[in-house]
This record gives sequence, structure tokens and C-alpha cells, in this order.
Amino acid sequence: MPATTENNQGSFLGRISIRRNQVMSMDGSHDQELEDLELFQKHVGDRFSELLSSTTDDPSNDALLSIGWLRRLLDELLCCEAEFKAVVMMGRDPSQIAKPPLDRLLPELLDRVVKSLDICNAVTLGIDAVRNLQRLAEIAVAALEPRPMGDGQVRRAKKALNSLVAAMMHEDRDCGSSKGTERSRSFGRRGNANKDRGGGTFRSLSWTMARNWSAAKQIHAMSSNLAAPRGAEATGLPSPIYIMSTVLVFVMWTLAAAIPCQERNGLGTHLPFPRQLSWAQPMISLQEKMAEEWKKKEKKGSVGLLEEMQKIEKVGQLLIDFAESFQFPGESERLEEIRGHVEELADICRKMDEGLEPLQLQIREVFHRLVRTRSEFLHVLDQAVKLSAPTV
Amino acid sequence: MEEDQHMVSAAQHILKALASSKTVSHEMRKTLLDLEIQLSTINERKGSGIKQLERKLKCLEDKVMSLEKNDSVISSEYLKLVGEIQTLQQKFDSLNENWKQKELVQKSNEILQVVMLRLEEELVQILVNHKQYFEVDYMSFNSNRVDLVYDESFGSVEDERINKVSRSIDDSLSEASNIDLVNPSVVEDLKSIAKAMFGSNYQHEFCHVFISSRRDALDEYFVILEIERLSIENMLKMEWQSLNRMIKKWIRAMKFIVQAYLVGEKRLCKQILGDFGSVYQYCFSEISRSSVLHLLNFGEAIAMGTHTPEKLFCLLDMYEALEHVAVDKDFLFIEEIDSFVTREFHNLQRFIVETIKSTFLSFRNAIATNPSKKCFPCGGVHPLTKYVMNYINALVEYGDSLNLLVDETLTDQSDSNDENNYENSTVSCSPLACNLRLITTTLESNLCNKSKLYNDVALQHIFMMNNIHYMVQKVKSSNLCNFFGDLWLRRHVGMFQHYARSYEKVSWSSVLSFLRDESLSTCVTERKIKKKCKDFSAAFGEVYKTQTGWSVPDKELREDLQISVSQKVIPAYRSYTGRHSSKIDEKWIKYTVDDLQCYILDLFQGSSKSLHHSHHRK
Repeated sequence: MPATTENNQGSFLGRISIRRNQVMSMDGSHDQELEDLELFQKHVGDRFSELLSSTTDDPSNDALLSIGWLRRLLDELLCCEAEFKAVVMMGRDPSQIAKPPLDRLLPELLDRVVKSLDICNAVTLGIDAVRNLQRLAEIAVAALEPRPMGDGQVRRAKKALNSLVAAMMHEDRDCGSSKGTERSRSFGRRGNANKDRGGGTFRSLSWTMARNWSAAKQIHAMSSNLAAPRGAEATGLPSPIYIMSTVLVFVMWTLAAAIPCQERNGLGTHLPFPRQLSWAQPMISLQEKMAEEWKKKEKKGSVGLLEEMQKIEKVGQLLIDFAESFQFPGESERLEEIRGHVEELADICRKMDEGLEPLQLQIREVFHRLVRTRSEFLHVLDQAVKLSAPTV
Repeated sequence: MEEDQHMVSAAQHILKALASSKTVSHEMRKTLLDLEIQLSTINERKGSGIKQLERKLKCLEDKVMSLEKNDSVISSEYLKLVGEIQTLQQKFDSLNENWKQKELVQKSNEILQVVMLRLEEELVQILVNHKQYFEVDYMSFNSNRVDLVYDESFGSVEDERINKVSRSIDDSLSEASNIDLVNPSVVEDLKSIAKAMFGSNYQHEFCHVFISSRRDALDEYFVILEIERLSIENMLKMEWQSLNRMIKKWIRAMKFIVQAYLVGEKRLCKQILGDFGSVYQYCFSEISRSSVLHLLNFGEAIAMGTHTPEKLFCLLDMYEALEHVAVDKDFLFIEEIDSFVTREFHNLQRFIVETIKSTFLSFRNAIATNPSKKCFPCGGVHPLTKYVMNYINALVEYGDSLNLLVDETLTDQSDSNDENNYENSTVSCSPLACNLRLITTTLESNLCNKSKLYNDVALQHIFMMNNIHYMVQKVKSSNLCNFFGDLWLRRHVGMFQHYARSYEKVSWSSVLSFLRDESLSTCVTERKIKKKCKDFSAAFGEVYKTQTGWSVPDKELREDLQISVSQKVIPAYRSYTGRHSSKIDEKWIKYTVDDLQCYILDLFQGSSKSLHHSHHRK
């Protein structure tokens, strides 16, 4: 089943365009339109169902909220978006798009799109911050890899790991406050052997968004007026608009939960998704899973649900514990165990090294695509207004 | 042999004890320790390898400990030690791997870690304390450009000084292109620290600290340049004035950051880390990345906004700013390492180009659809005309850029036919020229519609005459003449003259008809003459009352028109009254020829007057 989804999507788009060109009468096109809308629903359901099942079936697949999984999620978003545009815009008279209730629903969607753009930017900056944490982890790896394991190396690793863990804490707590140019730099001079020294500040000003901007608030705003279309509207254009809005909210929520970005305090764990609609089931399951994790971590003040970050935190803490109690030459069994963890850490760092930049590029692609879609819709709405206005 | 060794060891102990005494001065301590090292080298020549190495190591450890106690030690002291530790470590590596060797290696790493930590701190301090700041004030720009926002209540947009964002910023930038972001005197120290840390496999720490510190320094400049971080959502809601100010700041920042600051930053990275391969490029990339993205995101947000005509100039300024920094940007950001940034620059440029094109188009549409609801009082020059002509006059300042951006696809067929008639001047055949002509054609169409609002056909002609004349004057007196060409000018001069003639015909033929005899017979009844005179006076009075209220703002045009009218009316009047002078009663003639001449000069002054019956005739 998974393999056919992609093929379906390609031929689906092809079929729509051919059909639109063939059908002349309004009546005939209505049935075909219904079919298109239903197919869109089905495809959305299929896509997210696959994303859900991939996390439970094969452990060698990308785990939920890993970099790889997020990239697939973004891919699905782009596919949904493309299909959405085809269903709503292709071959359609602009006036159809401008009449009620679309004249209210479309601007609402476009408003969500704009908020999504800001979230994309916040997450892109957040990835830079994550990369910074990755570097600290790499220092720890570089320190602990060479043999023999000595006090010096362990101290070196401990310093890096402490910075790492502290930075993770700061990420969440300080995400919202935009620091001014005055910054308290905690470079203890001599005598503070255990305090984190050097390394600059935890959160660079360049990773912050606008003052008072909050991802949590934005997502809340995006989801607050989500309402499933009822009655006759459910079979018309309001339906794909609702579906697209839901998908957008879901993806943005996921990104904000996964990656440290400005102000996630108060990120709601409940999204108003329609429990009764079949296409939404996989999304709801995924969201509930993630919300569970979020609630657990929120209490501890964790850095974000990104799977790799969680692993780093876990392994990092283990290594810190080891470092605290280490004394040269150390027990060989313990050392072997630790080497295993160091390998693990190195592995995660490698994954991040390979995956973070492509992830950023993808988010950027989503950004540009959303900008373009917004422009296209605004243009169509504009045309509709012009056509309906009396000529001067 | 052994006795010697014992003696040397004893001496070393004494020296050490002395050195660790608190009352010993720093220099004294140094001397004592150096002496101790010398003693151990004496022994070294004679003794067994490993013991000597061990002693040396201990020595180094003591040195480090004593340096630690002293706050004022600078990095050069530690740097020396690094060399010694590294030499020792090499020797350790060549020993057999046994428990002792491992111990020594471990110890040396421990000492190394302490030294590296010290160097890292030193690095931070140097970078923070020796940053150099540059005045960006002299890089202020001065834009006299008036915001051309269309407003029906436009009084006079005449002769506004339209200047582009002045060139001064570019000149001052070339002076600043070699700024030293860090005091050059400490660069050598930084290089030494880099060498020491890289050589000891502590390059990660060095890079991490270096990147963080330099990134913070760059952030500070964003504050200095007053670049605020705003969400796209808020920017889309912002009102034009604030947005305009921010765009100007953005342009200044883009030029300064890319051409001056980042060039300096890359140079600094290369100076300090150039010996270590491509590391310096990677560091530079990390330092600059987020900040550059912020700048680019701002540009995206601007381009996303509504395409109102007044934005076009800002967009053109932004486009030109991006073009301006293109060369430096290509030098700074290498495709392989900075593909993200290079791609985003490219995206932004493309987006701005698209936005410029569609804004240009929407400008033309705005002219075409400008509503004509009530007629413009007095038939003068419509604000729309002034706005459009001033607008395109300002546009040609960006002629070079616009020619690349507005291609022929924006024009329709009709103009391209005309092109064959145009002289072979490249400027007037350029894409921009074609588009400008299309704009004025659109304007003329709209004006035509507006003229139809007047009930009086004569006023319609006056209105068109005034406006076409204004357009011609504007073109003649500015750079627009290069774009419009002689043919256009001639045509349009002919046009407003044609309107003038049409006006005359419509207005005056009926009036003048009273001054003609139906038949050439000399016996025209007095009654007829009387009627004719009275009719003429009445008609003239009507025309006077109405047309004094009309406006021909341009002095020369007004005078020409008045002269032309006089030349029709006066001779006719004179000849009629002359011909029938014998029969004409004074009472029937209200005005003398001179009176008429005066009254004609009152026409088109824009304030309605009426003629009272003045009998101040001799």
C-alpha cells in the first residue's frame, strides 16, 4: 500500500487536469468534483496513516519525531498542499472561489498560512540552536573516545556535557525572552573549576524571533477557529479547505513540539481535530502519542521532542554521572559500557550532522511553497473582485 | 652516579620548596623553576628514560599549578607549556605500553586539559575585550524622495524633488571595506592559541568559543543598525510609513553587513584559522548564517505584502541593494558550504523581481481603473495626471534596473507597431520606454472617460487640453524626453492643440455666428442688427461667466488660448460693428473692442465672474 500512494498522487493530478479540460457543463463537473474531493480526503488519510504505522512496525524505520520522520512529514505536507491547490484552483472560475462561505474560509486559511510562515522561521532558527548543541556533544565524544580514559579527558567531557545540559534547560526557559545587548556572561575566572566556563552565551540573539512572539500562541490562534464544515458545505469546497487547515495546524504543532523555538510554554496538547472523520484518525493518533510525550517532558523542562535531542539528553546525563564518579584508571567493565554510550552519542551526532541541514532546507521549501500558494490565492481572489465590480 | 642524582634531587626539592613559598616574587619563582628544569635536564642525560620523563612531567605540573594561582598570567606563558607537554607526549607515545606509560599519558592529558581550559578562557577574554566598533552614522543616507502616494486631494505634486537613495552610502562603504573587527595587535595571540589548541586536538572547543563570540559581535551590529526582528504577520499589517523607514534601514544594513562587516569577518577567520584548511570557511558560515537569514526573511516579508504603487520605489531600492552586494556575496558564501544562504539570496532576488513586475502592472491597472465619479472642478489638470507623470519621472531614475526587469511581455501589441515609426534611438525603444508609453496611453484613456463627465463639450476639450499639455511639459522638462522621443512629443503637442481648436469651435462658433450677415446684401434691417448685437452680447456674457470659471493652469497655454480666441473674436466683432456702424445704436453695443480684449484675458483664470453692464464709455 505505501508504494502506491506516490503513484496515485501523480496520476491523480494528471487525471484532474484532463478531466477539467474535458468536461464542459457545470452539471457533469459536479460529480467529478465530488470524486476529486473524496480522493483528496482519502489520500490525506493514507499519508498520515503511513506515517503512523511506520513508527510502530519496523524499528529500523525512522522513529517518531526523529529527523528522518520529520522530513517525511514535511514531504507529506508538500504533497497535500499540491493536491489541495489542484482540487481547489485548477480549472476553476475565480468567482466560485470568492463567494460565500469561501470568502470567509479562504482568508482564514491564508491567515493560518502566514502564521505557519513565522513558525517555519522560528523552527529554522531553532535548528541552528540544535546544531549548536550537537557541537557540544561532539566535544564530549572527542574527549571520551581516545584511550586511555583519563581524568583530563573526563573533565573535558564533563565541561562540554554540563554546557550541553544547561543549554538545553535554557532553551526552553529562555526561549521567549529576547535578551538585550546586556548579557551576563558567566565566565568564571580561576577558582570555579566546576562551573561552565567560556563558550559564550547559551542562546544567541540571532536565534530569537520578534519580541513577544510565541509559537504556542500562534498555534493556538491557528487552531481556535478550526471548525469542520457541516451539511451541504461538507461536500463542497469548504471541505478541502478545512482538511488543508487541519493538516497545516498538525504539522506546525509537531514542528514546534519537536524543535526548540521561541516560546513554547503553554503549547496546548489538545488540538480540535474531528474525531468522527476517518481521514483525521491517523493524525489524531499521532498527535495523542506526541502529546503524551510532551506532557511527560514538560514537567522536567526538557528541550523538545526531537528524538535525537532526547537521546542526547539521556546519554549525556549518563555520561555526566559517570564523569562525576570517575577516577583514573577506572574499572574496565564500566569503561566498556561507557564506550558504548560514547559510540551511541557519536552516532547521534553523525545523524544530526547529516540530517539537520536537509531538514532546514525542507522547512525552507515549505516556507516558499506556502508563500507562493498564498500569492496565487490572493491573486485569484483579487481577480474575482475585479470581475464582479462594475467597470468604470 | 647515584650520589649525584640524589644531590640533584635534593637541590630540586629545595628549589621547589622555595618556589612554592608565598613570599617569593613571581619572577623569582620563575627563575627557581627554570633552574629546576635545568637540573633535571642534567640528570636526564645520565638517567633512565622513564624516570626523567616522569620528573619532567611533575615539573610541568607544578609549573601549571603555580601559574594557576596567579591571576595575572597571560596566555603566552601557557602557550610555552603546551609545546613542552606536546613534546613529552610524543616521547610517551614511543614508550612501551605498560601501566606506567598509561599513567604518564593520563597525567599529561590532565595537565593539558587545565592548560587548554585556561587558553579557552583567554580566548574569550581577548575576543570580547578587543572588539572594534565602527561608526555607521556616516553611512547614513539621505533620501529626499517624497512618497508618491496617490490622494485625490493632492494639491500640487509639481516639481517635487525626486532623488534616489543617495549614492553617499556606497562611497563611504568603499572606505570601510577593510575594517578590522578585532584589534590587529591581538591577532597573533589568537593565532598562537589556535595553533596550540588545534595541535592538541582541542579544535572543537576553539571553534565553539570563536563562533559564539563572533556571532554575538555580529548580533550587536544588528542592534546598532536598528534592525528589529518582526514577525511576518506583523509586517503584513504594518502601515506604510513605518514599513518605509524599516526598508531604508534594511538597505543600509544589507550593504554594510555584506560589503563591510562580513568581508572583514571572513578575513579575520582566515587570518586566525587559515592554516587549518577549510575550517575557517566553516566557522565563517556558522557565524554569519542566522543573521543573514534574518535579513533575507525581512526582504521576503516586504515582497509578500500588497502591491501598492508607492511600494515600487522601495522594491527597486531593495533590488538594487541586492545587486550591489552580489559580488561580495558571491565571494563570502561558497556554494558548497553555504548552499542554504546562496539559495536564499537567489530566492529573494527572484521574488523581489516578480513583485516589482506585478507591482508595475498593478500600477498600470490602478490608472486604468481609477474611478471617475464626479467631474474635476474647473477642467484643470487632474491629480491623477500629476501623480502619474511625477511617478514615472521618478521611475526613470531606476532606468537601468527597470529595463532589465520590465520586459516587452508587459506591453501589448499596439505599441510594438508604433516602434517601427520611432527613430532609431535605443532609449526610446527600450522595454522601459515602451512600458512608459503604455502607461501614458492608459492615462489618456482614463482621462477621456473623466472628460465625459462634463456636460459641456467645450469643457471636455479644455480638460483634455490641459492634461495632455501637462504631460507634454513634464516630458519635455525632464529625463522622460529621452524615453518618449520626438515623435511622441510631436504627436501629443498636436493633440492638445487639436483639443484647443475643438474647444474654440464648440464654444465660439455659435457666438461668432451672430456677427455674420446671412446675405451679402447691404440692406440689413436695423431690427436684425439690433437683435444680432444683443444676442452677441448675451452670448458673450454667458461664455464669459462660464469660462472665467474654467481653469487653464499653465500661464503660457492660457495666454496662447486667449490670444487665439481674441484673434477669432476681435476682428469679427470689429468688422461687424464697423460695417454696420451707421445703423448701430450705442445702446445696443455693450462692449468696445478694447473691453472685449480685456474680458477675454479674464477667461480661464479659474474664478467665475460676471459682466455688469458698465457704461463707462466715452
